[in-house]
Amino acid sequence: MASRLGRPLRTLVRKQEEAALFGLGAAALMVCCAFPLVVLGAELWSEDALAQLRTTLGASRPWSLLAKTTGLGLATTASALTLGVPLGVLLGRMDVAGRKAALWLHLFPVFLPPFLLALGWFQLFGTEGPLGSTWTSSTLFGEAGVVVTLTLALSPIVSALTVLGLHGINPSLEEAAQVVSSPWRTVTRILLPLCWPSIALGALIVFALSVSEVGVPMFLGVRTYSAAVFTRIGGIQYAPGEAVALILPLFAIGLVLVAIDRWVIRTRSFASLGVRSDETTVLPLGRARTIASALVWICIVAPLVPLGALAARAGPHGISEAVTWIRGSLSTSLLSSLLSSGVIVVIGVLVGHALARDRPLARTFDALALLTFMMPASVLGVGLIATWNHPRTQVVYTTMAILVLGLAARYAVIGTRALASVFARSPLHFEEAAQIFGSAYAQRLWRISLPMQARGVVGVWLIVLVFCLRDLDTVVVFYPPGLEPLVVRTFTLEANGPEQVVTGLSVLQVLLTAVLLAGGGLLLRRSWGRR
Amino acid sequence: MNTDIKKGVIGRLCSVIVLCGITSCDGCNSKDSRAVAYTSVDQVFSEPVFRYCEDAAKTTVRGLFDTEETKSTGVLNRLIAEAANPQADVFWSGDPVRPFMLVSRGLIEPYRSPVANALPRSLRAEDGTWTGFAARARVLLVNNRLVPDDRTPRSIRDLADLKWKGRTAIANPLFGTTTMHVAALFSVWGDDEAKAFLGRLKKNDVRIASSNGEVKRLVASGEIAFGLTDTDDAHEAMGDGAPVRVVYPDQDDLGTLVMPTVVVLMKGAPHPEAGRRLIDCLLSGEVERRLAESAAHMPLRAGVSVPDGVRGVDSLRAMEVDYAEVARVMERIQPWLRDWVGL
Repeated sequence: MASRLGRPLRTLVRKQEEAALFGLGAAALMVCCAFPLVVLGAELWSEDALAQLRTTLGASRPWSLLAKTTGLGLATTASALTLGVPLGVLLGRMDVAGRKAALWLHLFPVFLPPFLLALGWFQLFGTEGPLGSTWTSSTLFGEAGVVVTLTLALSPIVSALTVLGLHGINPSLEEAAQVVSSPWRTVTRILLPLCWPSIALGALIVFALSVSEVGVPMFLGVRTYSAAVFTRIGGIQYAPGEAVALILPLFAIGLVLVAIDRWVIRTRSFASLGVRSDETTVLPLGRARTIASALVWICIVAPLVPLGALAARAGPHGISEAVTWIRGSLSTSLLSSLLSSGVIVVIGVLVGHALARDRPLARTFDALALLTFMMPASVLGVGLIATWNHPRTQVVYTTMAILVLGLAARYAVIGTRALASVFARSPLHFEEAAQIFGSAYAQRLWRISLPMQARGVVGVWLIVLVFCLRDLDTVVVFYPPGLEPLVVRTFTLEANGPEQVVTGLSVLQVLLTAVLLAGGGLLLRRSWGRR
Repeated sequence: MNTDIKKGVIGRLCSVIVLCGITSCDGCNSKDSRAVAYTSVDQVFSEPVFRYCEDAAKTTVRGLFDTEETKSTGVLNRLIAEAANPQADVFWSGDPVRPFMLVSRGLIEPYRSPVANALPRSLRAEDGTWTGFAARARVLLVNNRLVPDDRTPRSIRDLADLKWKGRTAIANPLFGTTTMHVAALFSVWGDDEAKAFLGRLKKNDVRIASSNGEVKRLVASGEIAFGLTDTDDAHEAMGDGAPVRVVYPDQDDLGTLVMPTVVVLMKGAPHPEAGRRLIDCLLSGEVERRLAESAAHMPLRAGVSVPDGVRGVDSLRAMEVDYAEVARVMERIQPWLRDWVGL
């Protein structure tokens, strides 16, 4: 009897396994992203929603700030694409001199919150700086300064995602193209169109981060919409209801982005990786190699100058002093980032795979993650406090769990989007063949999709890890006492802390991230070496 | 192939995550007698004091500190956001006004520390809701290279002087002690005069820095001639050897704004006994002495020596303000101030 019942039950479970696993990922997204949004919505409602909306959005200033901020975001995104995509192609597929080292160095500016880089640029280009004059200072302290600083800080994200996208392309396609065409045409006609989803994701991340950035515009004296939202949360008049009213237009922008993104990606096809997914061909630059290499290295070294200025200011003494101030923040940073990035990758695998296979509701949860990402970090932080600070949830709110939840909420979209793009290139017929032979969904995911895309998955994990390590704006709102990550400690010490210690902590932050990335890279290489 | 990958990459990834999960339960042990203190006093000064109090008061102290940009308000707003389920036992405010906002919301538990008896009566609330000690002042930090001695500014009104157009700075008045300073001006001058003064500042292209620390940085680097900041920032700039001097403004008429730090016990504090012990320690003469040495805070109890380079509060003409009134004004003028800043 039991065996007669057991078989249909197993069949039923197998049939629903995909939905169940997707549901698990979606539930995690609900907990991380939707709960704070709902609680914030209730906040708005409790303060007389319509009156609040009328008052806050009825004035002209928020709209002019929004227009200006959107303009700055678009300018930053366009500049980051202009710089990041060619660098990504050159470093990912062309025979640029020292391209692997160059790629690592290029990523360094992303390891720190952009504010610290702005500080470095000020030390160089302020009126009294070594490269400074009245003109450089007035340019830096203005809209141009914001765009340039954010472009140099964020363009490596575009480059990294472009490289990741290029790595996922079936080399057979470009080899075929090379037979009949030049490397330039192969890049522009074959490679770039194929890694468009990765580039689009990079553009989306840069736009969202530049629009929600508070520190750099405030430091450079530029008024932005995010700063206006921040004054409702961090200013003397604590008005979360007003802040929520102000983020509604940002949500509208987010929805427009989702629509554009879907419309563009729908018109593109993904190239399947096939069985040669691990091979990477390097295209020859020919006579242009010297000039191209020189240009690449100039583009890479320039954004490193403020980091160099910080390191020089810290010196060995600053770094040794910083170690005495670091306390538990290093381990907090490390653990919370590893856990958060792990959670994000698990969610990303479950939801991203569904997104890549165009399953029902997958796009809804993708939009939820995107809207949470678009929300200013300070508002998300207030939502997380309101959601989790209750007597029954102290085990979450007073421990590292709240850091993990917050980081997962903020950066889940990067995991789901990037992994969706990775899985979309995985040949569907392998999974279908396994399904015909009775393989369940989890088995197919675990034994076929993940192993085939392991390189991409680890690449996405490393990118998410960097975001978690450098995050300041989100966790600073709710980190538990005694559990501050390294970046937060650097910023709380920045207030009157010895400059050498602050710069020393920043250097340690860069080193920590570099070591973790190098470790991830080695892990990847060793795994492939065994194959 | 598949097995290798699974063991080599995903397996290692998962084991790292699980290991981290197991070892991350450090924060789970919350049921001890430690005190949790939120503070807007700079971490570089407050954290050593907490370490001293751990020994002196025999209690573990977990601190939560503000960033320079949101100084005073970030932590304050977190206290308000957590009001339904307080996490902090003690709030040590860098200025005397913010705690009134917590008092008015009913978030403070009165506590009359026996140690506070040695402090002037004016620094102790009659109902025991707050106690003030070690003070800072609002000063003009002047760049020696850009401002000769004979042109030294003497008043905050000099910020609006046309001869310094575009060469002065104040911190964003929506955050930090600058909010309190502006509110104090509204309280002392009245709305019309204060608004006119701020209007003149705007016309004079005064730079709005993101924090007092940034004002210090701008002056020290020679980006601007002088700016309005706090004594601890000025003390740090001088300690770093920057070419700057300090002016205590308005000594002939209005007086310099003096801001005692204030400590309060939170209502519903999870560890009230440890919180009281911490407050007793913070109000001790030894802590005032340490703050005077490290942060140029002016001791307010008799008998605490004032280090070289730090002015005693008795040697100053202080602006006469009612801190409770300033707190009320501060909330009232926020919408106007946001407009003034352009946010």
